Amino acid sequence: MRVGIEVGGTFTDLVMSDGKNIKTAKVPSTPISPDKGAMLAIEAAGLRLEKISELIHGSTVATNAVLERKGGRVCFFVTRGTRDLLLIQRHDRRAIYDLQYQKPKPVVPRHDTYEIDERIAADGNIVTDLDTKVTSTLVRNIFDKENFDSVAICFLHSYLNPIHERALSNIISALYPEMPITCSCDVAREFREYERASTTTLAAYVQPVVAGYITRFSEELQEKGFQGKFSIMQSNGGRMPAAAITKNAITSLFSGPAAGVVGALRGKGKTSYPDIITLDMGGTSTDVALVSNDHAELAPMTTIDGLPVKTPVVDIVTVGAGGGSIAWVDDGGLLRVGPQSAGATPGPACYARGGKLPTVTDAHLVRGTLQADSFLGGKMPVDLAAASNVIEEIAKKFNVELPEMADNIIRVAEANIVRAIQQVSTERGSDPREFALVPYGGAGPLHAARVAEDLNIDTIVIPPNAGVLSASGLLLSDYVHYRSQTKRLLLNEPNLTKIKSGISSLTKEAKDYLIKLGIKPNREIETSLEMRYVGQAFEVPVKFTEADVRNISLALLQKRFADAHHKIFEFSKPEGDPVEIISIRVGVAEKTPGLTVQLNKEGRNIDQKITKVNIVEKGIPSETTTLSRTDLSEGAIPGPVLIQDENSTVYAPFGWQVRLDEYNNIVLERGTE
Amino acid sequence: MIVTPVDQAVITRALIAAADEMGVKLIRSAHSPVVREAQDCSAAILDKFGRVVAQAELIPIQLGSITHTFKACLEYHPLDTLSDGDFLINNDPYSGGQHLPDIFLFTPVFLKNELIGVTATVVHHIDLGGGAPGLNPDAGDVHEEGITFPPSKYTIEKDWMGGPFERLVRANVRMPEATIGDLNAQFAANAVGAERLRDLCRKFSSERISIAMNEMLDYSERRIRTAISKAPDGEYDGEAYLDDDGISNIPVPIKVKIKIQGNALDIDFEGTAEQVKSNMNSPFASSVSSAIACVKSVLTDPDIPFNEGAERAINVKVPYGSILNPRPRAPVRARLLPSYRVVNAVMKALGEAVPERVIAPGFDTTSVSCLSHKLADDYNIYLEIFGGGFGAGPNYDGCDAVDSMLSNCSNIPIESMESDYPFFRVEDYSLRCSSGGNGKFRGGMGFQKIYKILSDNVTFATYGDRFRIAPEGVLGGGPGAQAETFVERGNQIIQLESKQQFTLQKGDRLVVRTGGGGGYGVPSERNTGLKDDDKLNGISTNQD
Repeated sequence: MRVGIEVGGTFTDLVMSDGKNIKTAKVPSTPISPDKGAMLAIEAAGLRLEKISELIHGSTVATNAVLERKGGRVCFFVTRGTRDLLLIQRHDRRAIYDLQYQKPKPVVPRHDTYEIDERIAADGNIVTDLDTKVTSTLVRNIFDKENFDSVAICFLHSYLNPIHERALSNIISALYPEMPITCSCDVAREFREYERASTTTLAAYVQPVVAGYITRFSEELQEKGFQGKFSIMQSNGGRMPAAAITKNAITSLFSGPAAGVVGALRGKGKTSYPDIITLDMGGTSTDVALVSNDHAELAPMTTIDGLPVKTPVVDIVTVGAGGGSIAWVDDGGLLRVGPQSAGATPGPACYARGGKLPTVTDAHLVRGTLQADSFLGGKMPVDLAAASNVIEEIAKKFNVELPEMADNIIRVAEANIVRAIQQVSTERGSDPREFALVPYGGAGPLHAARVAEDLNIDTIVIPPNAGVLSASGLLLSDYVHYRSQTKRLLLNEPNLTKIKSGISSLTKEAKDYLIKLGIKPNREIETSLEMRYVGQAFEVPVKFTEADVRNISLALLQKRFADAHHKIFEFSKPEGDPVEIISIRVGVAEKTPGLTVQLNKEGRNIDQKITKVNIVEKGIPSETTTLSRTDLSEGAIPGPVLIQDENSTVYAPFGWQVRLDEYNNIVLERGTE
Repeated sequence: MIVTPVDQAVITRALIAAADEMGVKLIRSAHSPVVREAQDCSAAILDKFGRVVAQAELIPIQLGSITHTFKACLEYHPLDTLSDGDFLINNDPYSGGQHLPDIFLFTPVFLKNELIGVTATVVHHIDLGGGAPGLNPDAGDVHEEGITFPPSKYTIEKDWMGGPFERLVRANVRMPEATIGDLNAQFAANAVGAERLRDLCRKFSSERISIAMNEMLDYSERRIRTAISKAPDGEYDGEAYLDDDGISNIPVPIKVKIKIQGNALDIDFEGTAEQVKSNMNSPFASSVSSAIACVKSVLTDPDIPFNEGAERAINVKVPYGSILNPRPRAPVRARLLPSYRVVNAVMKALGEAVPERVIAPGFDTTSVSCLSHKLADDYNIYLEIFGGGFGAGPNYDGCDAVDSMLSNCSNIPIESMESDYPFFRVEDYSLRCSSGGNGKFRGGMGFQKIYKILSDNVTFATYGDRFRIAPEGVLGGGPGAQAETFVERGNQIIQLESKQQFTLQKGDRLVVRTGGGGGYGVPSERNTGLKDDDKLNGISTNQD
């Protein structure tokens, strides 16, 4: 029996699969000790710990440690002369007209940063040796006076030559064997010192918290009879054994959103949609990501609370558009929705918890796309009059009727989502029309059709268990490990062997690491070479399969790079213009089997239980059929249709057809007539 | 035809997003570190009448000039004479431009033979010839600063792509690969913007986009006017001083009178110093952009899209022949120095009207550090732009070690510059811990960068200010520390001026220190938590 447990901000979700059956559970989260919620979910699902062979876990522990500044106390060592690296940052402002601009606050203060006499040059040669004796004394003096939870080390040019980072790490380990140490060459072996230092300090900062949490949780599980394997989700969409994560906690920073994307990509089964755009819309924000050829795109860098993190993460763009997003009119008379959100408290006006501002959820209730019984299956009372009142106020300002105003608010929110999707598609050189949209989260399936129309997307796929998709993503995720290294090589015939050996030695390192952890590297992940024209500073990732790598040639490298460059920048240079490789990234993985799906072949006779509601769109009311997922079959039903699914409502407007496919996905297709 | 409020919101967002995307792609495909790392560049979309409607928020001073440089192009090449495949170029400080290195490149965008708009990018180019590599601080006129491209029209296919104009550029610059590479990045970014604009017109119709663009201008104007009308009517005076004119040691005054009446705001620089002989003259467009950027930052919320509509409510008058509106041929390379004093003078005047919205003067200076090395047949030129400490505000300490208001350049990572410029190594890049002005809120700290020179005959060229006159604190706050630059050669210390050229030898240590910002409010009111933090982190204030 395999179990995935995802701890989110509000709910803790569980999905269990024993090869035949799938069981799900949803319980409120327990933010102070997330493991309590996880235990409650196991109870709620009626599972016995000793029967669980594998438990896969995702949580917001690392993210919250950073956002709430509750990580460990880190001692940070840098090269002499660079003590203020974390404070100077990149010398820029992210809001150019803000007179009282404040930089993002680093997780290590100035007084915990220490300079070491050592220096490596830009060619990797040593300029100043690190004196072991002097450094040992310095370290002892520091640790005698201060108490630290972990150590971070980031020396200049260590991505080329890590010898001094290793030397200092050895000195500290010899003196303080228990002290967790993070070297920059291990977490982000790439140039640009601020970004690497930021990643290294964040890694050291979350380390004690995550390690403490995982250790406590595994002990608790074992005490209660759990004997199976315990693994943790990473930001890259793959998982690793819990013991490995306790040593490399930073890789779990964005595990939640990544699990959702994996859930969307694998949860839809082996359907004919290998290229999808995921749309996860919750109460305050929407996350979108692009998956092509059944692989989630990875971004080499992201930020948390304004601080850069250079570890591969599923490339997710977030916009402040959710069910709780507030509609308002600015002082120039423009209708705006978000980014402010009413959140869970006070929440939308219709929750009657004190919310006095119109939200997207209120607009849906007024328009009719949400019905009073859509909220927690009708268990949660909602106040339609309150929603109407707050929207009426804004309608007066524009001098339009109430239903039209509700529709307008929804359309502006959708425009924000469309923008986010363009950011992961058009701006990265992909055409959204070639993708299917996979919406999930409370409000995703409600908006998907209109968003799809704006992007000319014709197919929407809503996987089964869409309400607990992140937890399914955990169950369906592979073991994945990435390694990368800055290796600056001009693209020419003599360097070809160096490129090949660079890839193979890095791949071997990564495979050996997995094997040591008892994992079989049996799934192929494309090798990515970061390449650019000589003179440029930003690289374009170019992907190669195992077969490509075996048959690698200069011509292949050049052509793939030129194509990739053209796709993003709409130009490439004439052949023969010098190109260089900056870094190599390889991934290794062990495949996890998919879930068995019980098919729902026979739809019910829907004619007998049809109810109809009036939904106003673009000013025109139309009679809309309401159904539940179990009413659907392979036969297509024309929109407008509202489908009540577990924790969300699917809306198929006029012009769309809705059916169930062989993997129990709800599929919406745009009519051709 | 009408544009519904929803379509308006959608189109507005899409146009701003398209401009942002142009900016991102410009930076990512550029060649010189001054663009790709420091991000000294901007991007915008203009409507079919040549009015700026949407901009990527990159460098405020460049953004304000896009309108002026394009208008100058139109005088020679009216809109109805443009066709698909044309481009327009202008870097002339006396035709709406800034200083020569900032090249403005425009691509008219057509759909079905109809002009639907123009995409524009500006890039600070590393070297455009002139009397010295990268920066010639001794230029006596604009010609010694480099080559001027007057407002002109060419075609991409015939004149660029190996054509005569490309060859002209190549023949007149010291690092042709970098310059051509950066111009190609501008062409590519313009093409991306053009494609997004065509997509929008296909989706909504060209007519609807045109109406929506017009409304975007009106919208910004309305919001700026709303903000102005909230400030009390009256006449307010301000002034600020430059250390010197780059030749003598006499301070140079910038004076301003601001008149607020209802929802209109007039700015007049009557009384400002005459133009100077050195490169510290601010062309008209720079002076106007600086004044408007300051008014916008002080009076309005940061989310108002900055476009041509925003300028309609603000009328700026600058005496001809003054340092803020020099006569043609005067050198202008260091134009940001007087531009920053424009900001200080305008901020001081606005402080009388809306004291709760202004901050103390900061370092507010662009310091340029340019190191060049002539190889046998080639040049290698490093150029970086430094800010310092921001002035403190009513709610926060001034931001430390950050680029100044009118600019927004990132630093170049040490690891990047040492790979590209093997003739020096950075030995120190740190905060100047006692450079912020004292106060309830402390002024931002400046920083220092120390270069160890590894080859003989490396040329250092620089311009800067605030070596003598420190930024004052406000409401009882103390002044920020001044900047300084010196060379350590053996046991000898050679003090350098704020504007000069100097030849460095192997083994020299060049120390560049930028200044701090002024403090806000009386120091005794400083919160004890902040005081303890400062003490723990080894931070004191200027002249403690």
